[in-house]
Amino acid sequence: MSAPIISINQVHKAFGGAPVLEGVDLSIVGNSIVGLAGPSGGGKSTLLRCIQGLEKPDSGTILCQGKVGFMFQDFQLFPHMTVLQNLLYAPRLKDKSVAPRQRAEELLTHLKIASKADSFPDRLSGGQKQRVALARCLMTNPNVLLCDEPTSGLDVVTTSDIVSLLQTVRVMGVTMVLASHDLDFLTQISDRIIFLKGGRILLDQDRRQQTDSLDSLHALYRTSLSEEE
Amino acid sequence: MEAFFSHCVYVGRGLAVTLELLAGGFFIGATLGALLAVLRYNGVGVAFIKGFVSLIRGTPLILQLSLIYFAAPGLIGLRLEMLSAGIIAFGINSAAYVAEILRGGIESLPLGQFEAAQTLEIPRFFLWKDIILPQVFRNIFPSMVNEVISLLKETALISVIGGLDVMRAASMLSAEQFTYFMPLCIAGGYYYLLVLLIEWIGRTIERSHHQH
Ligand SMILES: Nc1ncnc2c1ncn2[C@@H]1O[C@H](COP(=O)(O)OP(=O)(O)OP(=O)(O)O)[C@@H](O)[C@H]1O
Ligand SMILES: [Mg+2]
Repeated sequence: MSAPIISINQVHKAFGGAPVLEGVDLSIVGNSIVGLAGPSGGGKSTLLRCIQGLEKPDSGTILCQGKVGFMFQDFQLFPHMTVLQNLLYAPRLKDKSVAPRQRAEELLTHLKIASKADSFPDRLSGGQKQRVALARCLMTNPNVLLCDEPTSGLDVVTTSDIVSLLQTVRVMGVTMVLASHDLDFLTQISDRIIFLKGGRILLDQDRRQQTDSLDSLHALYRTSLSEEE
Repeated sequence: MEAFFSHCVYVGRGLAVTLELLAGGFFIGATLGALLAVLRYNGVGVAFIKGFVSLIRGTPLILQLSLIYFAAPGLIGLRLEMLSAGIIAFGINSAAYVAEILRGGIESLPLGQFEAAQTLEIPRFFLWKDIILPQVFRNIFPSMVNEVISLLKETALISVIGGLDVMRAASMLSAEQFTYFMPLCIAGGYYYLLVLLIEWIGRTIERSHHQH
């Protein structure tokens, strides 16, 4: 077993007195894809935001080896910049050479949106925006990629595109944590699925070992759904 | 007819001062206003900025102009010439309004834009210069055009401190010719043409932004 690339230790987080994460312990090994499942309000986004550093845990520690990239649910592309400018803006602040541009063109070609390089984000479909957001993250050469609801608002075909897209990202050696409601999507792609509810990890399943025991996961979902009603 | 043209030329002598006040005042107003809005959003000098905006908006511009030109020399030994005093007064006044317009614009941007920049490790200065303010300026563009138009008309107050602008030139012509109607109409025509020009420039810029 390799050393963890992300170690989360007894992380607590509350918003205005309401606990959202209640002692989350999790370590994630390099080059794996971890799916974060769980009902709405379970704390998935908050956990990702804590890992990225967008939120500060009230207590507990999060250690992350290397560079982290974050894909927002609504992408947050810069609307006043073209696709290429979106990719290049941050890297160019540090590297004035032609390298970022070459990398950007490579990535856009690789992600099959090279033809949109000079378009503005408001002219792109949801799936295309997602590719751009992904490319923009990858420009910073992260070794960890956090994605919040990567399939929300996308149709089934685009979702299966995302699966293959993220698989190519994994080949680049990027560890991923994906928060999603979409169990089918998560089971297709994840090596490991964490079920987060009420700020606690209720289930931690290694998908590579057991290919057949999705039942407990589905059961958890069903109970949390019926509780909501 | 010939008289009309010579009157136009006479009143037109004031255009230079009017335009200098407009350009200088707007430049100071936009930069100082942006600075104040950004500082305030970042929690720097909030009480001071609030007080500044409140005072500037709560007192007549003609008073502010007089303070800077007539009272400042005795008070702090700063004697400014008419044009500088005017540009500073109009600039400071405009800054208060621009700061408020921008504050609204900044607060209405999605928080995610700030966060996206943060995850991409964009330094704060560049975040504001290249990510936030360009978007905000685009969103509040119509309000900024309004601000420029108001400023243009307010520059007519410069005659209080002796500036020879369009309005003052018209008054002088009136005094010479013992007639008010024609000189005032000509001055009004100049202002109105300038407003139309500002609106046209505004529309052109806006259209070029909406192209994509
Ligand atoms: N900035 C915030 N201020 C106050 N409350 C917040 C904030 N962010 C999240 N919360 C609360 O924390 C709880 C968990 O939210 P979170 O977004 O982490 O859940 P989630 O599992 O991602 O849900 P979903 O599946 O709907 O995206 C929710 O009750 C939410 O209202
Ligand atoms: Mg969420």
